[in-house]
Amino acid sequence: MKHSVVSLTINGAERQMLVAPGSTLIDVLRESQGLTGTRRGCEQGACGTCTVLVDGKTAMSCMLPVETIEGAHVETIEGLTPPQGLHPIQEAFLQGFATQCGFCTSGMIMVAAALLAKNPNPSREDVVRAISGNICRCTGYEAIIDAILDAAVRIRSAAHAEAA
Amino acid sequence: MEKIDTSFFAKEREAELSVVGESVQRADARGHVTGRTQFYEDVTFPNTLHLKMVRSTRHHALIKGIDTEAAMKVPGVVRILTHKDVPNNWYTILKLIGVGPDDEPVLPEDRVLFMGEQICAVLAETPQAALEAARRVVVDYEDLPPVFDVEAAMTSTPFKKDGTNYFVYEGHNCRRIRFGDVEKGFAEADHVIEHRYESSPIEHAPTETTGCTAKPEGNGRITIYSNTQALYFTLDNMALILGVPFNKLRLVGGTVGGGFGGKVDVIVEPIAALGAMLTNRPVKYAYSRAEEMQVSSPRAAERIYIKDGVMKDGRIIARKITLYVDAGAYCRHSTYGTTKAAAHMPGPYTIPNVHVDAYCVYTNRTPSSAMRGFGVTIGDFALESQMDQIARFLDMDPMELRLLNAYRDGDMKAHRKKVDGAALVEVIQAAARQTGKQLAPRFAKMSSMTREG
Amino acid sequence: MLQTVAMPGSVPEAQRFLSNLEGAIILAGGTVVMPVLNYGTDAFTSLVSLRKAGLSGISVETGKTTIGAATTLTELEDEKALAFLHPALDTIASPTIRNMATAGGNLFVKQPYGDLTVCLIALGAAATIAGAKGERIEPVEQTVSSGVKAGEIVTQVSFAMPAKDAFKFTKATRKAFNSAAIVTVAAVVVLEGGVVSSARIALGGVAKTPVRATSVEKALTGKLFDRAHVEAAAKEALKDIDPADDAYASAWYRARVTPVHVRRALLGE
Repeated sequence: MKHSVVSLTINGAERQMLVAPGSTLIDVLRESQGLTGTRRGCEQGACGTCTVLVDGKTAMSCMLPVETIEGAHVETIEGLTPPQGLHPIQEAFLQGFATQCGFCTSGMIMVAAALLAKNPNPSREDVVRAISGNICRCTGYEAIIDAILDAAVRIRSAAHAEAA
Repeated sequence: MEKIDTSFFAKEREAELSVVGESVQRADARGHVTGRTQFYEDVTFPNTLHLKMVRSTRHHALIKGIDTEAAMKVPGVVRILTHKDVPNNWYTILKLIGVGPDDEPVLPEDRVLFMGEQICAVLAETPQAALEAARRVVVDYEDLPPVFDVEAAMTSTPFKKDGTNYFVYEGHNCRRIRFGDVEKGFAEADHVIEHRYESSPIEHAPTETTGCTAKPEGNGRITIYSNTQALYFTLDNMALILGVPFNKLRLVGGTVGGGFGGKVDVIVEPIAALGAMLTNRPVKYAYSRAEEMQVSSPRAAERIYIKDGVMKDGRIIARKITLYVDAGAYCRHSTYGTTKAAAHMPGPYTIPNVHVDAYCVYTNRTPSSAMRGFGVTIGDFALESQMDQIARFLDMDPMELRLLNAYRDGDMKAHRKKVDGAALVEVIQAAARQTGKQLAPRFAKMSSMTREG
Repeated sequence: MLQTVAMPGSVPEAQRFLSNLEGAIILAGGTVVMPVLNYGTDAFTSLVSLRKAGLSGISVETGKTTIGAATTLTELEDEKALAFLHPALDTIASPTIRNMATAGGNLFVKQPYGDLTVCLIALGAAATIAGAKGERIEPVEQTVSSGVKAGEIVTQVSFAMPAKDAFKFTKATRKAFNSAAIVTVAAVVVLEGGVVSSARIALGGVAKTPVRATSVEKALTGKLFDRAHVEAAAKEALKDIDPADDAYASAWYRARVTPVHVRRALLGE
C-alpha cells in the first residue's frame, strides 16, 4: 500500500497531505486537518451530515477519495464561519431554533449555503428539495426550512443594504 | 410561538411562569451552528487502536469454535478480545437498582442469542485493518431453533440460562395489576369489545452512531469519551464488569448527536475500556451505520390485547389487558419498560375493574431497550385506538367518550395511587376549542378537580 | 484492503490500469462503490477513477445527444437542451448525490435505483463500450441486462432527441424527494392523428434490472391514444415485470400498482 501526497485548498488555504489509498475527504478533514465540524454519520451517502462544498457544489465527504479531487477547493463549516460573529445562515439557525442535538447542523448549513448561492430567493419547496439528502432526527425539519428561508431574506437584505 | 395559556389551575400554582412559554436561546446552539460543539469523536489521540466487532450471523446458535489465526495475520492487528478477557462477563444494566439476574454476557461464551450479537473484538492500528481482520475470523456455529414471536416464546423451550423465556417479577411470569373484578364487570356490561394491537420494533437512528474512545491515563485511570445518554449508569456498570473501583474510571460526555433513548445501554464502553486496559493504548469503538441499525436496541415491539366491558352510555366498567413486550434476546431496560407499561394501564380513565398481565418476553431478536416514553407509547397507541373503536361501536363522539371516562382528582387508579393534578378534561376541552368543535354542555362544564353529579 | 486509487487521464490509460492492477474496479461518482469500501470489502483492492479520464460532457447536435459516462446528474440537470429529462432527474436521490453520481454509473446501480437508465432505455439510447479490441455500440437495455466484461468501460451513451411532448415519465415513491422507486415508468410515445405509431416504454423497480415493457408497447401500437386503450394496454405490464420485496414496497404492491402508474405516465395524469 503506497501513500500519496494530495493538495487541496481547504477554506482558502492550500494544504498538502499524505494519504493512504482511498482515504475519504471526511477522514482527511477530521483527522489530518482537525476540522471536526464536518460530522461522520453513515459513510454511505444516506444522511448528508458530512456534506461540504467541493468546488462550490455540495458533496458527501464520506464518499470522496481525496486522490480523485486533487487541486479542488473545499469549504467546510469552519470556513463558512466569519472571523467575527456568524454567517447569516448560522444566525438564522441560531435565532430560529433550528438546532437540537446539532449533529446534522453543519451539513444542513453547507447545503443551505450552496442553495442560496445558486438561488437567492428559494421557495419552500426549493429548500425541501435542497435538504432532501440531509437527515435530521430531532427537529422534524420545519425549523430548519424556516431558518433557511429566513437566511435568504437576511442575505438579500444585507446585499440590498450594501448596494444602497 | 403561541403564549402558554396560564389561566388553567391558576390557584394551584405557587410561582409565576417566567421562562415557560418564553423563547430562551439554547446554551449550545452557537457551538452547533459553527460546528464547534465537541462530540466524543472530535477528541482524538495519537496511537489510537480501532475496535471492530465480529458479529453473529445466526439468530440462535451454539459457538463450537472461534478461529482467529487468519485474522491475527492481517497487518496492523494487535489483539482480539473474547469473553475470556472480560473480568466479570455477566451483567444486566439495571442491577444497579437491584434488578436481576445477570442475563447478558459482555461477550458470549458458548452461544449467541440474536443475529448481530457481538462475539469477539478486533483491535488494530487502522479501522480498515480491524474490518479486514474481523472478516477473517471464522466462527463455527451449530444452529439452534430461533423463536421470534412473543406468545410462542412463552411456551417454547427456554433458551435463556435462567430457565424462562420471560422475566420473573416477584415469582410471577408477568407484572400484574388486579383492581376490582373484571369478570363481574364483563357480566354486567352491555357490550364487551375486544381488539388486538401490535407494533414493530422502532430504531432511533440517531445521526451520530453509538461510540466511545477509552484512553489510559498516566495516573492509572481510564478516561472514556462517550456519547452515552447515561454517564453514571455506564460508569458503574463498567466498574462492575471490569472489576475496578469506580474511581479508576472517568467518563466525559453529555454531548449526544441524537439519542432518543438509543444510547442508554452499556455496550461499547466496557469493551473499549477493556481493550485500553489490556493494550495500554487509546481504543475507539464506534458503530457503523449498519451496526447502529441492526444491533443498537430499538423500541420494543409490543402486542396488546384489550378487552373492555362497556355500558350503552359509554362508561367503561371493566378493562382486561394482556400485554407482551418483546425484550429481544436480553433484558436491558425492558423489565423496567414492562412495569411502566403495566402501571400506565388502563390509561387516564377511571375504570372500576381492571386486570393487567404485562409480560417481558425474551425472543431471538435484537434486544430492545429505551426509547422516548418506552413502555407507555405503544400502550397509548393501543388504548386510544381502543377508545376510538368503542366510540365508533357506540356511535358516540370520541372526545365525549373520553371525557365521560376521564379520571379526576381524588379517583383511585388501578395500581392504587390516588389521582392528583389531573388535567385530561381541560386538555380535551382545549383541543375541542382549538379545532372548532362544539362539546355538549355537560362535557363543556366538566372539571378535573370535581366530579359532577 | 485497498492498495491503489488510479487516476487515468484517458480511456486507454484507464483500460491499462484495469488490466494491470490486481482486483481493480471502476470508480465513477463513488456513490455506490465508496459505501462498500467504507464498510470493508474483499471484492476489490484497487479503484480506477474515471473522474479525469475525459469522459464528462454533453453534446447536443441536430437530433442526437451524447452524454459522457462521467457526466454528473447535476450537469444533466444544468443542460437546458435536456429539459425534458429534468422531472426524471429531480426524482433521483438528493441534489448532493446528483452532484456526485454519474450517467455511466447509473447503468450499474442495483434496483430499485437507476431511474436515468429507465429513461435511457425508453429513449432507445445506445451505450459506447471501450474494450480490449476497440469500441462497440449496443442498446443500453442490453448493457443493463448482460453487463460489461472485465476491463470494459462504458464511455458514453447517446440517443435521438424525442419529439416535443413525446417523452413521458413518472416515478412512484414513498416520499416526495430522495426516495427509490416503487415503480418508475419512462416512455417515448409517437402519435399520428391520435393513433400510436410507436411506443417505447421502460420500467424500473419491478425486475432485477430496468426492463422494456414490450407487452404494453405491442398493445398500444396502432391504437387510439385515449384513456380506455391506454388503461387496457397498461395492464399488459404485468407480463413484463418480475418485482421483488424490499424496504420500499412488497412485490405484491409493486405488481398491483404498476399498471396504474404506466397509465398515469402515458396520459400525464
